[in-house]
Amino acid sequence: MKLKWLLLTAVVGAQSGITALGQDTNSSSADIDALKQEVQALEQKVNTLEQQQAAQGSSAQSPETAQVQDLDQKVRVLQRQHELDQQAAADAAKAQPKIALNANGFSFSSADSNFVAQLHGVIQVDSRSFFNDGGGTLGKNTFLVRRARPIFTGTVFHDFDFVFIPDFGGSGPVIYDAYVNYHYSPGFQVEAGRFKSPVGLESLQQDVWTTFNERSLVTDLVPNRDIGFELHGDVFSGRASYAAAILNGAPDYITPVAPAQDVDDDKAFAGRIFLQPFKTSDEAFLQGFGFGVGGSYEDDRRTAADLTTGYKTDGQQSFYTYAANIVANGAHWRIAPQGYYYYGPFSLLGEYAISDQQVSKTTAPVASAEIRNKAWEITAGWVLTGENATYNGITPRHPFDPRNGQWGAWQLVARYADLNIDKDAFPTFASAGSASEAAAWSAGINWFLNRDIRIDASFSRTTFSGGGGTAGQGPITAKPENVLFTRLQLGF
Amino acid sequence: MKYYPAILIAALALVFSSAANAGQVALLNVSYDPTRELYQEYNIAFAKYWKAKSGDEVTINQSHGGSGKQAQSVINGLEADVVTLALSYDIDSIAQQAKLLPANWQSRLPDNSTPYTSTIVFLVRKGNPKGIKNWDDLIKPGVSIVVANPKTSGGARWAYLGAYAFALETYGHDDAKAKDFITKVYKNVPILDSGARGSTITFAQRGIGDVLLAWENEAHLAQKEFGADNFEIITPPLSILAEPPVAVVDKNAKRHGTTDVAQAYLQYLYSDEAQEIEARNFYRPRNPAIAAKYAANFPQLKLVTVDAEFGGWAKAQQTHFADGGVFDQIYQPQ
Repeated sequence: MKLKWLLLTAVVGAQSGITALGQDTNSSSADIDALKQEVQALEQKVNTLEQQQAAQGSSAQSPETAQVQDLDQKVRVLQRQHELDQQAAADAAKAQPKIALNANGFSFSSADSNFVAQLHGVIQVDSRSFFNDGGGTLGKNTFLVRRARPIFTGTVFHDFDFVFIPDFGGSGPVIYDAYVNYHYSPGFQVEAGRFKSPVGLESLQQDVWTTFNERSLVTDLVPNRDIGFELHGDVFSGRASYAAAILNGAPDYITPVAPAQDVDDDKAFAGRIFLQPFKTSDEAFLQGFGFGVGGSYEDDRRTAADLTTGYKTDGQQSFYTYAANIVANGAHWRIAPQGYYYYGPFSLLGEYAISDQQVSKTTAPVASAEIRNKAWEITAGWVLTGENATYNGITPRHPFDPRNGQWGAWQLVARYADLNIDKDAFPTFASAGSASEAAAWSAGINWFLNRDIRIDASFSRTTFSGGGGTAGQGPITAKPENVLFTRLQLGF
Repeated sequence: MKYYPAILIAALALVFSSAANAGQVALLNVSYDPTRELYQEYNIAFAKYWKAKSGDEVTINQSHGGSGKQAQSVINGLEADVVTLALSYDIDSIAQQAKLLPANWQSRLPDNSTPYTSTIVFLVRKGNPKGIKNWDDLIKPGVSIVVANPKTSGGARWAYLGAYAFALETYGHDDAKAKDFITKVYKNVPILDSGARGSTITFAQRGIGDVLLAWENEAHLAQKEFGADNFEIITPPLSILAEPPVAVVDKNAKRHGTTDVAQAYLQYLYSDEAQEIEARNFYRPRNPAIAAKYAANFPQLKLVTVDAEFGGWAKAQQTHFADGGVFDQIYQPQ
């Protein structure tokens, strides 16, 4: 009778324990352990009884023994069912779509990751203050929203990526990037739509990671965004990358104000090879070394739309434009050898570019010339707080949190750039007031509060020489341009 | 003509890209629950064979689970290069629903693309305390049966059909009596795992039940893993001939560039070396000479086929395992 009561207590205890398992998963392990101990104790008692019965010569299983075994089975089944329920719940959770919100933006993904949508964004609020420009430069001291871009990216059916980037920072919305990329493998990908032409190193760097507020003079000579198809990929474990594109063709660097329209039947070819031979090396000081060359070719046909709308200073003032009656007329090729070196907090980026364009004057006296413009730049940086500098930005070790004495990462930067206009452009093809050379040095400090927020301040001085077109020095080029830039950036 | 350079660049890039990635290839074999050990051993043998034949290093990744669940995963996008599932219906589902391989996939390899066979046996506790010798012993009062859910497990579907086939043979193909029999069998099932490996754990590791309805190979593996002193294998006089098929998932393999190696991977299952591996892992080999060599491992019994007894897998699936089918009618969770 005593054993029977014990068994009944075990049943009630086991069942209430299992009920509780369903209600409180956290306590389930402890409850199950307790039940196991109870069952083991009961089994020991049964074993003792069985041994006693065996000693007494009885071979039949007592009712108590059978009942204990039955109870033992029930407890085990309940335990196992609980395990299976937990496993089923875990499997069901894996099948649910995933939503993530973190420093890299918002991400939505199907359970199998075949469909992914991400939302990123860039907001850059700048100020430009021009000094000593009263007699010459036309720069306006101003606040401006330099970029305000929601960035929609994603993947459909596992292999098809898309990117859509409009910009609301100018006078109206402009589509900057809109393309679909099919990635068969890392080494073989095909992209179609509107995207950055694969030529300039500085041009291809993401807007949120450029060293200064504005890219340097060398980027004036490479194409910006264009429409077409591009074959590209990373091979040899990322130690080499290539891109080959067929495009509508774009003038030297301009900021698109509307989706680029093709102006002729001819197409441009652009390509780039970039090598990082020591990327996977054990030698850390070699890993961040990369070099390559980009280039393009197009046959332009008697249109002014294929000419640059103006080479810009750091302060975004045009210091060189073609005269009104000048058209592109013939081959336009560019070549841009480039390289960088990143090691720890140190960074160095350099690029040289030639843009060679056949031009014609359409009014009497007609004339033609091959205008070969050249530019180069070198940018150096040092992260004072010791973080690693990379082409794709800096991640502060200690994100800004003054309550805990954390101040983010600080970087000192300096740059020198020079753009030289072909002497044959003067005086026939250049507009009045254009300079034949601009040289700019810049220095600044960048404060990375965290991966997403950045505050920059820099000073840039650009000097002009030569040129003058048909009417001598113009108001922009008559005096050096001195600009103080600041920026508050949110990029995620 | 002016676009020839672009076309040339594209072609060169493709060749360049392919060359850069040459020499290494990976396959994903999506299989059912109890084949882990078989394919672990087989993959080593095949990799060696393929290296000698092609010079390429091949890495085979394995995915295991209930056969029905695995098939659904492939339909939902799991990028299997090959499937080695428990029954042909599951591969048919992939062909029909996802169109990843042709409907005639089973005719592409010998023996209906089934390089090895198996059957369903009983694993009981040492001494067989409940005296289970045949299928009708399963419905005795007090017998507790462990088996997986036939909705998700291929092995469980074979076990269900084995019991049903016994009843049909015993009761003169009286379907009502067979249905009554199978109802009584599942009344003695206290818990359903989603796959065969899970039900082995339930029986052998968690100590639940008196008998496990198991794949023959899984029963041997359980003995090996959990101690031959603890369990006995009972082979009933009649059971079902289980034919687990294999197939290349054409569209996935083509996309991955693995068609040749995937085909070779399955063809090599019929080689003498592979048949030996299968026999050692307690799968019944197709090769008569190797089957004879390992005859001691495979007791003789009457094996009925799904085609003869149930009119093929499509009909059996529809009648017994589809929503509202016989299984749904007779099984009540306890």
